Amino acid sequence: MKIPYERRKSLYGYGFIALWLVGTILWFLKPMVESLCYCFMDNGSLKPEVGGMNKEWLPLADWGWIANFKYAFATDPSYKQKLLEVLKDTALTTPMILVFSLFIAVILNQEFKGRGFARAIFFLPVIIATGPVYNIINGDIASTGADSGAQFSTLFQTDIVDELLEFLGVMNISDSLSEIINTVTTDIFGLVWSSGIQILIFLAALQNIPPSAKEAASMEGATAWEYFWKITLPYVSPMILANFIYTVIDSFTATDNGVMSRVLEKQLEWDYGYAAAMAWSYFAIVMIVVGIITVIINKFIFYEVE
Amino acid sequence: MENENLITPTPQEQGETPPVEVPAVEAAPAKSSSDRPHNLPEGYIPESAKPVVHEEKEVGSGMSPKEAMKIRMKSMTKQEIGYLRRKMIFEKAWPVFRFLILFGLGFVILTPLMFMISYGFRESGDMNDPTVMWIPRNLTLKVMKQTINAMGLTNSIANRQNPLFNTLVLNLGCSLLQVLTCAITGYGFARFKFKGRDLLFGIVILMILVPTQILSIPLYMTFKNFMFGAVNLIDKFAVMYLPAMMANGIRSGLMIFIFRQFFRGLPKELEDAAYLDGCGPFNTFIRVMVPNAASSFLTVFLFSIVWYWNDFYVSSSFFTNTKTIALVLKNLDTTLNLAIFNNANAQVSAREKIVWLESGCLISITPMLILYACLQRHFTEGIERSGLVG
Repeated sequence: MKIPYERRKSLYGYGFIALWLVGTILWFLKPMVESLCYCFMDNGSLKPEVGGMNKEWLPLADWGWIANFKYAFATDPSYKQKLLEVLKDTALTTPMILVFSLFIAVILNQEFKGRGFARAIFFLPVIIATGPVYNIINGDIASTGADSGAQFSTLFQTDIVDELLEFLGVMNISDSLSEIINTVTTDIFGLVWSSGIQILIFLAALQNIPPSAKEAASMEGATAWEYFWKITLPYVSPMILANFIYTVIDSFTATDNGVMSRVLEKQLEWDYGYAAAMAWSYFAIVMIVVGIITVIINKFIFYEVE
Repeated sequence: MENENLITPTPQEQGETPPVEVPAVEAAPAKSSSDRPHNLPEGYIPESAKPVVHEEKEVGSGMSPKEAMKIRMKSMTKQEIGYLRRKMIFEKAWPVFRFLILFGLGFVILTPLMFMISYGFRESGDMNDPTVMWIPRNLTLKVMKQTINAMGLTNSIANRQNPLFNTLVLNLGCSLLQVLTCAITGYGFARFKFKGRDLLFGIVILMILVPTQILSIPLYMTFKNFMFGAVNLIDKFAVMYLPAMMANGIRSGLMIFIFRQFFRGLPKELEDAAYLDGCGPFNTFIRVMVPNAASSFLTVFLFSIVWYWNDFYVSSSFFTNTKTIALVLKNLDTTLNLAIFNNANAQVSAREKIVWLESGCLISITPMLILYACLQRHFTEGIERSGLVG
């Protein structure tokens, strides 16, 4: 029996991904569907037992099946507030991280003495920022050491901006504005430490700009400013989208963000139904926001090919 | 035009007359120009204005770039001169700004490290001494040794008592397995057409997006009642090894994605040649594609090691008695309280405790720092080459 070449090749394709497929069904899809089901199960009876989980579906009638979501948004004392806080925080810091990392990448892409050393330092957060060390140096020790941790974090948080604004006599323009300026400037430490990968990706994109574009620009007498807006930015724009998505996902899956820690608290209290409902609604909200912004950004992206 | 003819010596002239003769003609514009400092004697020609005579074959030889510029500027419009001036000022000032920016931000990044080094090697009494800021008064290794003992790094490796040994075994094993399986999967997605490929790749993207926190409880139940309740895998190394073996370890979605992008970027002719010579797809993958992807493999492997080293979420969910470095570090405060500060003699203030905490941090990141210092190039270059971009 002979199998045609095309068929054979597609069979080989299945062969290559077979191991992953089995693993994914076991370790990813099954748990994911199960946790999705937890959202619609009775929170009280959802307890681990010998041989598995004790499950009981919520009644379908009278909107009974949204009880867990109702709890999350209406009853839970801190979920809604933390959700808003995290969303606001992400909305503020993500553009900052993008602008900052692009700026640093442009600098690190120039020729100067000690460039290799500077790059090594700026990528250092890549290997440290994912671990518990970051939490400790960021002044957030999990258990009782809160006060010793706090002493650290004050080192990196200054009130310079407050004082400057006060000095200029513009302190009371508007509270929300000064609050925004404050979040942005006081957390330079967090900003620098969470943009390692983004700098790396932008740098790689910058090195992909064809030399001919640079030559043409300098022939036409473009200044560095014009060069940045008319050559650099269009060429790296696809990576702005990639970095945007990466930044949002990174901050939203971080264990130390408010919503996630609330979810973990609920899990520790054996409220699996509530925890699942909270986590999934958070996930859905973030995905919708990311989707909308992706569509908008996509309109401004310049793709060289196509 | 006239000017150029005047100064540019013909090759013949230059060869015969000594170069000293040439300045006589050229020095004139330099002297009369207004930018000469006033307090200098009349016949003085600044070092930079002295003509440098180059090799004959160079076009426009016989004058320094500055002078050539001056002559060219005579025929320039105002805008052109303005542009050149702005450019020059920018080029002079920018390196200073650049240095300041990089220095300041580099300081922010390095501060925690300097902190750890400065605090980890001092006696706890130094914390109460207001004159001690960065440089410790009493250098000591005592705190270091105490912390190492408290973290259990000197325990015997039997029975998984030693966190360092546990971490190394898990780390290297899982990283190797995961890189291999992710590469195979990524290759499958990159080079073969089969039904449902896009849908399956959507699942890979979903793996990147869905946070582990959502999955942890169902996963816990799966591990606890593995094989329909026959085996309890909790607190066994298998909870890390099994997913890694099937390309589902920590951040494996991202790795599959990177490998797929990389393999798509390699030329198809490589494989076609191998196929023509009668090589099967799997042989082709091992003999042709893997050697080509060596640098990409190294990068992903390094990142995998870092992620496994830093992971405390997965290990804290599925390990009960087995400790890893990250877990110990996460609970360092409790550990220290039990091991060192638990007797009546030790009266240590929260401020003094920082010394032990910092030395713990330093101990736990030192291996990663060494790895990074030695292989820094591969961390960064691999990503640039992997085709993740573009």
